[in-house]
Amino acid sequence: MNAEKPSYMREVLETREMELNMGPQHPATHGVYRAILTLDGERIMKLNSVVGYLHRGIEKWAEYRTYQQGVPIYDRLDYLGAVLNNHGIVGAVEKLLQLEVPRKAEYQRVICDELQRLASHLMWFATHALDIGAMSVLFYGVREREPIMDLFEAHFGQRLLPNAYPIGGCRLDFPKGWTEACRKFLKALKPRIDDYETLLTGNRMWRQRTIGVGVISKEDAIAYGLSGPTLRGSGVCFDVRRSIPYSAYPEFDFEIPLGTNGDVFDRYLCRMKEMRQSIRIIEQALDGMPEGDLKGKAPKIMRAPMGEVYFTVEAAKGQLGYYIVSDGTDKPYRLHIKSPSFINLQGLNRMSEGALIADMVAIIGSIDIVLGEVDR
Amino acid sequence: MADEKETTAAPAAPAPPKKGWEPTGEIAESDASKALLEKFAGFAAPVKNLAKEPTVMVKKEKLVEALEYLKSDPQHLFDYLSDMTAVHYPDNDKKIMTVYHLYSTSRKDSIRVKCELDEGEACPTCVGVWPAANWMEREAFDLMGVAFEGHPDLRRILMPDEWEGHPLRKEYPLGGPQEEEIRSNKYGKPQLLPDDLEEARKIIEEGRNER
Repeated sequence: MNAEKPSYMREVLETREMELNMGPQHPATHGVYRAILTLDGERIMKLNSVVGYLHRGIEKWAEYRTYQQGVPIYDRLDYLGAVLNNHGIVGAVEKLLQLEVPRKAEYQRVICDELQRLASHLMWFATHALDIGAMSVLFYGVREREPIMDLFEAHFGQRLLPNAYPIGGCRLDFPKGWTEACRKFLKALKPRIDDYETLLTGNRMWRQRTIGVGVISKEDAIAYGLSGPTLRGSGVCFDVRRSIPYSAYPEFDFEIPLGTNGDVFDRYLCRMKEMRQSIRIIEQALDGMPEGDLKGKAPKIMRAPMGEVYFTVEAAKGQLGYYIVSDGTDKPYRLHIKSPSFINLQGLNRMSEGALIADMVAIIGSIDIVLGEVDR
Repeated sequence: MADEKETTAAPAAPAPPKKGWEPTGEIAESDASKALLEKFAGFAAPVKNLAKEPTVMVKKEKLVEALEYLKSDPQHLFDYLSDMTAVHYPDNDKKIMTVYHLYSTSRKDSIRVKCELDEGEACPTCVGVWPAANWMEREAFDLMGVAFEGHPDLRRILMPDEWEGHPLRKEYPLGGPQEEEIRSNKYGKPQLLPDDLEEARKIIEEGRNER
């Protein structure tokens, strides 16, 4: 890791460790995240993360709101993957109250979830490439995300934080012409993802910046509790959609892309492949959309018996979990959010040991953090 | 009409639980929970759960040993710490409960382990078992005030370092320690500054010094 200096240099030149402060106002930290780096030359010896600048006390706030009142706030955790956060909390409350969700609503949820995953991955793709220096990719990524936002606007009435699902089902059927627009968009996106990959995957500069950078082994990745593409890039097959099935996911045929080396490049490839799988899932769901009700039988006043549940979904960043403790009233007694970004960010220490400062930017980009979710 | 509504609404309001928190539901069992109960007989007890999630309460003395056993025993291999948190129950005898959600990436099975603590009692750390617990325990310490014995770096993580109190505890007001102060409006009603520039500057300066 630490390059040995020739002996004459050690005698003549006095060297010492240097502390460098990166953030909280740094464009490559994707928000207000601060890293205190202890450097030996350009190599990182130690990384000390400082988080909490965006702490809004959502867990405390949740204890003072009924289950239904609380739902929209969780959109603000991972604001680039709001629909997925929404699915998490709604699913947790449904598990707590043992509500049944109609199959049609589950299909609709799968479609919107995967669209949101596409949007989140496209935004990651745009900003990650920008961090490393591929400017044009930003425009392509944001351009592709735009139709998804339009689809959300047409269906939910909101683009970024749509408050997607009520507890017990879905609100409305897709509007007229929505399905066709969605199909058209997916059809256009498929060849474009291939195009974008030609920009980066075979690009010599991209490969030099990413291959062998920020490596984390399979064992370490599990021990550090990483999840999502960050974990799968190291070759661990853990995807909540498959491992702890929820919603209608068992009914669809899709693959879980895995990496081998656990470096930035593998995590990049995983996400790119995942986008194609998301398209596959949406197409299957659109084809097999069942008939029936959208709204399940959810009580107006939701009073859960005393107890606790833990429900997880595969969010764009990884395993998103909601742990709800109920005390028999209509408000959660305690609500804990296992946010994937928070745990993944912890693995940054391990990944950046011995890396160059310039590679730090690539590594932070590759774990795809959203600070709204880290700090909650 | 209004009176009638009030009278009908009043009995429907749930009586707040007086004698602490007690989980309901049924006891769910899995191979892992059975083996754990057998191996740590006297130190582990099954817990009821609403959604049939296997849950085991382990005593503090054997907590780390039990977690290590679940992680490394070839029958269980719970190698993934999915989540760790703490809950405050001011009405219970044991006021703090730490909760561990474990998952096995090879066997695709999960289990919940809980541990009860007295107020002010330190919980043994499981950073040695999973490095992932480092930040989770720091978070529990920061927001809930649970100390972790043997933790390598027990500092606040989400709140500022100089913060007083632990926000997720039940006695902590939602508006923070300044809630009362803000409500009572210590600085009085907002005033218009005088036209004279010098005087206005003086008032602003005074306000600054006060704060």
